[in-house]
Amino acid sequence: MDIGQSLATAANLMVTGMVGVFIFLSLLISAITLMSKLMSRFEEPVAEAARTPSLKAQGVPSGHIAAISAAIAQYKNNQKQ
Amino acid sequence: MEALLNLWQATGIANFTFPALIMIAVGCLLLYLAISRNFEPLLLVPIGFGAILTNIPVAGLSDPGGLLYYVYHIGIDTGVFPLLIFMGVGALTDFSALIANPRMMLLGAAAQFGIFATLFGAILLNYVPGFEFSLQDASAIAIIGGADGPTAIFLASKLAPDLLGAIAVAAYSYMALVPIIQPPIMRALTTPEERKIQMPQLRTVSKKEKIIFPLMVLGLTMLFLPAATPLVGMFCLGNLMRESGVVDRLSNSAQNEIINITTIFLGLAVGSKLAADKFLTVETLGILALGALAFSIGTASGVFMAKGLNKLSKSPINPLVGAAGVSAVPMAARVVNKVGLENNPHNFLLMHAMGPNVAGVLGSAVAAGILLALVG
Repeated sequence: MDIGQSLATAANLMVTGMVGVFIFLSLLISAITLMSKLMSRFEEPVAEAARTPSLKAQGVPSGHIAAISAAIAQYKNNQKQ
Repeated sequence: MEALLNLWQATGIANFTFPALIMIAVGCLLLYLAISRNFEPLLLVPIGFGAILTNIPVAGLSDPGGLLYYVYHIGIDTGVFPLLIFMGVGALTDFSALIANPRMMLLGAAAQFGIFATLFGAILLNYVPGFEFSLQDASAIAIIGGADGPTAIFLASKLAPDLLGAIAVAAYSYMALVPIIQPPIMRALTTPEERKIQMPQLRTVSKKEKIIFPLMVLGLTMLFLPAATPLVGMFCLGNLMRESGVVDRLSNSAQNEIINITTIFLGLAVGSKLAADKFLTVETLGILALGALAFSIGTASGVFMAKGLNKLSKSPINPLVGAAGVSAVPMAARVVNKVGLENNPHNFLLMHAMGPNVAGVLGSAVAAGILLALVG
């Protein structure tokens, strides 16, 4: 096979390969989305129960975060001076 | 007197050839990089030592009957070692970031463009005198862009066993160089405003979703790309053992003992392919150059894809996370986090980057499957 021919094959492979990867992973995206929807539909009460404590654990109100960040920034500025 | 002469003939000094000495020096360089510079030490220590062992004259460790010969044929010729490593990687991987935000999969897909563009580049290199890469060689070299050591070794052992040493060394060296190669590309392709974008917190993912995920991936691979099932199958087995929660002992073994033992022998076997006649060729230089190219293109296409997604989607996506689409778990995600923090000290992108990062592992396994199906 001369180089021109292999280049054509390689270009062909590049297109098919990328299309293949995208199609496969897109299928996977739809499958995951579908699964998540089904899960949340069938297990509404369980999911709710599971979600509440985790929210409590992570849920620092955004107002607090803003206040803390502002305080840290101010402190750093003061340190610099 | 004659006995003394025979003894002299049996020493290493009398039998050293210049190329073998250079390869021993290369082995020492790999050891130096691993020990002093901390570059992927888990792999470069056995690879560097294997390179030294295989080039020792007279001992013939890589000749039929020698230890390294057997290790190579049992583990790499058959494809067993990379697959065992993949099982361990599966057991180490947490997919919740990807399940919570499945669109990140597209970034993992886009970053695979590095692989296919390099395939084209490798064939293009045939115009330079001295290079003669077949389509199989080119595919095996291109997979370096997947930034996934086991996948690269698996594909190279199937498509281009002669180039395996150079390909494996290039793949692992560039994985170690991720924190150096990626940030300049990421900064060049994004504006400071884009780098400051904060992403919404990910939802929590239920245990059932995590258990179904590997089975679903396996099912889709079975249906559409059976050539990728060795890699994807072992990966999913490891991940199912982790997430099912009923075989913690097996999962722990896969994550620790099995992956560690395999890493030692995989490294030695790869090192045994660093023989002077195979490695000291102009092709090795080409492979190193193409590998860097593959990596850079993969990073860039991931970032571009993330920019596109950010324009189209309602919830903001920081373009930096696209760079994590090349696998190199978790190094690429850490690099994204670091570059993000440079511009906005409150912007922690690590969890968001893990999604495209693990998608990149799947993406490169899929790309390897496609190459095996079309070229192998």
